[in-house]
Amino acid sequence: MTQLRIPRLAVGLAALSIITAACTATESNSSEPLPAPTATASGTVTFWHFFTGREAEAIKQVVNDFEASHPGVTVKVSSGQDDEKMRQAIAAGKGPDVGLSYSTDIVGNFCSTGAWRDLQPYIDRDQVDLNQLVPVVRAYTEYQGVRCSMPVLADTYGLYYNKKLLADAGYTAPPKTTSELTEMAKKLTRFKANGDIDVIGFMPNLDYYENSPAHWAPHWDAHWFNDDGKSALATDPAWQEMLTWQKQLVDFYTHQKLTKFSAGKGDEFSAANDFERGKVAMMLDGEWRIAFITADKANIDYGTAPFPAADDKSDLYGGGYVSGNITGISKGAKNPEAGWELIKYLTTDTGAIVKLANGIKNVPTTTEALASPDLEVDDNFRTFLDIFAHPGSATSPSTKAGAEYQNLFGTWLVKWQTGRAGDLTAGLEGVAKQIDDSLALAGP
Amino acid sequence: MTTVDLPVAVPAPVRGARRQQRRPRRLLTFIAEHAIAIAVALMFLAPFVFIALTAVMTNTQALTPDVWPNTWRFDNFVEVFRTAPMLRYLTNSLLYSVLATGFMLLSSIPAAYALARLRWRGRNLAFMAVLVMMMLPPQVTVVPIYVLWARWELTGTLWPLILPNLLGDAFSIFLIRQFLLTIPEEYADAARCDGCSELRVMLQIILPLAKPAIAAAALFMFFLTWNDYFGPLLYTGENANNWTLALGLANFRDLHRVQWNLTMAATLLVMAPVIVLFFFAQKAFVQGVTLTGVKG
Amino acid sequence: MTTIAPPAVSVPAATRRPARTPAPLRRKRRKHRLFVLALMAPWLLGFCIFFVYPLMATVWFSFTRYNLLSPPEFIGLRNYTFFFTSDPYGLQSVRNTLWLVIFVVPIRILFALLIAQLVIRIKRGGSVFRTIYYLPALAPPVAATLAFCYLFNPATGPVNQALAKLGIGGQPLWFSDPALAKPTLLILSVWGLGDVMVILLAVLLQVPVEQYEAAQLDGANVLQRFRYVTLPFISPVLWFAAVTGVIQMLQFFTQAAVASSVASGVAPVGGGLGERLGYPDNAMLTFPIWLYSKGFASFQLGYACAMAVMLFAVSLAFTVVLLRKSRVFVYGAEEA
Repeated sequence: MTQLRIPRLAVGLAALSIITAACTATESNSSEPLPAPTATASGTVTFWHFFTGREAEAIKQVVNDFEASHPGVTVKVSSGQDDEKMRQAIAAGKGPDVGLSYSTDIVGNFCSTGAWRDLQPYIDRDQVDLNQLVPVVRAYTEYQGVRCSMPVLADTYGLYYNKKLLADAGYTAPPKTTSELTEMAKKLTRFKANGDIDVIGFMPNLDYYENSPAHWAPHWDAHWFNDDGKSALATDPAWQEMLTWQKQLVDFYTHQKLTKFSAGKGDEFSAANDFERGKVAMMLDGEWRIAFITADKANIDYGTAPFPAADDKSDLYGGGYVSGNITGISKGAKNPEAGWELIKYLTTDTGAIVKLANGIKNVPTTTEALASPDLEVDDNFRTFLDIFAHPGSATSPSTKAGAEYQNLFGTWLVKWQTGRAGDLTAGLEGVAKQIDDSLALAGP
Repeated sequence: MTTVDLPVAVPAPVRGARRQQRRPRRLLTFIAEHAIAIAVALMFLAPFVFIALTAVMTNTQALTPDVWPNTWRFDNFVEVFRTAPMLRYLTNSLLYSVLATGFMLLSSIPAAYALARLRWRGRNLAFMAVLVMMMLPPQVTVVPIYVLWARWELTGTLWPLILPNLLGDAFSIFLIRQFLLTIPEEYADAARCDGCSELRVMLQIILPLAKPAIAAAALFMFFLTWNDYFGPLLYTGENANNWTLALGLANFRDLHRVQWNLTMAATLLVMAPVIVLFFFAQKAFVQGVTLTGVKG
Repeated sequence: MTTIAPPAVSVPAATRRPARTPAPLRRKRRKHRLFVLALMAPWLLGFCIFFVYPLMATVWFSFTRYNLLSPPEFIGLRNYTFFFTSDPYGLQSVRNTLWLVIFVVPIRILFALLIAQLVIRIKRGGSVFRTIYYLPALAPPVAATLAFCYLFNPATGPVNQALAKLGIGGQPLWFSDPALAKPTLLILSVWGLGDVMVILLAVLLQVPVEQYEAAQLDGANVLQRFRYVTLPFISPVLWFAAVTGVIQMLQFFTQAAVASSVASGVAPVGGGLGERLGYPDNAMLTFPIWLYSKGFASFQLGYACAMAVMLFAVSLAFTVVLLRKSRVFVYGAEEA
């Protein structure tokens, strides 16, 4: 049209095509280099983990031991790095050599996309015996045959109870069934003059601290997926049992009061934690709480026990939810050799595992470490070791979309607790469909 | 060109015989208007007051109904710097804002000049393009741009936020262009008659006259980048060393959630520079706002 | 669209005097064009790299499955169908953003107008009031949101405690109540209406006083004076405020994200920001937040791009409306 416009448009389009070509052509799907024939670790290793504060200190000690026993290797540690940050960094090509995740949620995604490298070549080369890993832990660190992670200590969940509050209400033992839990929860609750909850017996909200469908599932033997990979939320009756039980307790308190109580809750990982302050009589939590209570010098007399099981499934009692921290080598890592040495140390060296377990009070993942005499075990901690070994314990399945299925369920559950979700079966079917669709979208 | 200096225009009172009648009614409306204005002003100021008061309380008192601090803990402000690397966040924020503003001025002033004072084919089309760019929500193009920066290995830093300003900022171009339109052509014509080249006309005649608009655009850019949360979240989220104050403040409360006193102290510290800068640059600021919304 | 007259001297008369060389003219014109090009070049480059290319790429990516670690995989319209059939969060986010557009924009403008009128009436100290009303708009969004989260904390915040003292029943849960979360965001937005107030103030001051007086003499009351004198005069600015307000609400991210994560109080151990967005019960999950969550927390970039395309379509519609409605505003001055 005009003399000035055409050259300009042309320049623009040229710039566009150059950039487009440049930027989309670098999608190299090159396979990762194989490990060197013999292990030679040296140089700097970047190590990201999610711990902060006291726990970060504990793992720092173990890392120092690693550096001492592996001269020539320095570890650069970054604390407080969560899964999202790791994924972002790896996707941008700046991932750490070694990453430590707080849960098994990402295994499915990281293994299938290659965000964490396949460790099998290293395992074969160094002849690492995977049988030393406890079976459930071995299972949750691989996905569809690809082992891209190794376990670093496990977490198990159980019931913490305030002995004094229980004694005041006349109880000497924690509940073993969900009916007992309901009864005791009601009796142990104290209300303020204006009707608000002052001390709660058991907080039934499924988004409060460690309450979540995944953590409760083992106690009703609820399964997430059928054998065909489709969501079992609507087909497995255990979910309905669980939610009906929960709703009963929620309705007893009324959800407004629960929300208000929850809004005033203290930071979970500080001394202001509701249980540590004596605001909650019974609570589901992980084994790490023991260390927190000690470090925070909380003024409570507490005990631990397995979480109650469903009334009709008493043989489940003694088990619980199991998960754990996992570690892997990022795609495009600069120093995979040294990274692998660090992983081997953290995951198979008994001394390191026991030291870390004592430091943050998590459960060791190798049979040798579990049996080690150096492992500090008191009555409270023993509960969790027993839960770990119980056949009724279970973990949550890995999917290509990570923990999205849990998030989808969790969001619907918030609506459920407020009583706005309508019919339970229809609601569960809706969520099941969403989960199936989201998995389909994530790819085969 | 509007200025917003008051005194304000008020319909003049009717003179003469009606005056006696009107006085009591005018007094009533006077009191009513002032009362409402004061009430509204109090409501607008109240949050600031509460923040300030809470910032100097102890933590336990922050959770109670007591509004007036029992003990005045001014060391809370110092505590804030101890608990989070606020100084580093401040440096990052300054780096981001200053560089972005500087780069923006370098690239946007020429473009605004070309759009306002020169005539060329395609000028209106270009200006429409500027308008469309201005109105575009950043989330529309965020994914490919993020991919670009990832390829260029600059994610985790603030450069993806700073560098694009070297290539112009649509809103600033718009702002400066609106102002430049109002400068009479006679100035330029006189200079051209004296034999000035176009470049000299631009640099020595017109742009000096546009100082208010340039100042306003610079201020806007500074505030925009200072307040930006989404940008730093996206690009520096994974690298806490490069967090800006906005990101640092949002995450400050993560580690110390129930420490409302410290959190409010940090909030106050983040708000303070903006408010101080505003008081110094009020005129330019308000002028800039009106340039955008009110036809000159 | 107007055409621009060619600069300087008239077209070389090739028909009349073929011997005359327009070389100096051509040189001058080329110099002029080069000058313009030099001035516009940075913006032009930016326009291509940061606007045109990303727009095209977004559309392309929206038809793929892409997680940045492996090449994009073409999947056709599946992202779009998933959004409309199986993504409850997506649809909820649309509802949330629509709520913000429908309620926040007009209410903000209305209050800004009222307050601007108020400021005009205050003869002495008017500028003090103006500053006070403008101050909250200056506050960085993160800071303002944090402050409101504290003020409106259902258990420990001053607002509820004041309500309790005053005996006003019902302690609202504010940000923690799905029904009240967005209205609380509305309050936050209205608190920060200073930026709209200032431009309305500027234009209100321009309304010729004589017209008010004439109307008053004709017997018009306050409302009629507003409708027939003020409104026509300020309507371009109202339009501008409305459309920019809509565009702002379409990109609403920061306040909702910060309020969600603070009010939820969920410990962010390990999972990241993505876990906490949308609290309570997805009431504050705006469209851009869900886009971010899908794109950068779950790394489903193709899906995020599909959402981006939808966002673009809507905002483009509003932009076109603005451009059409304010042709005078945009082009008027230069024709003068």
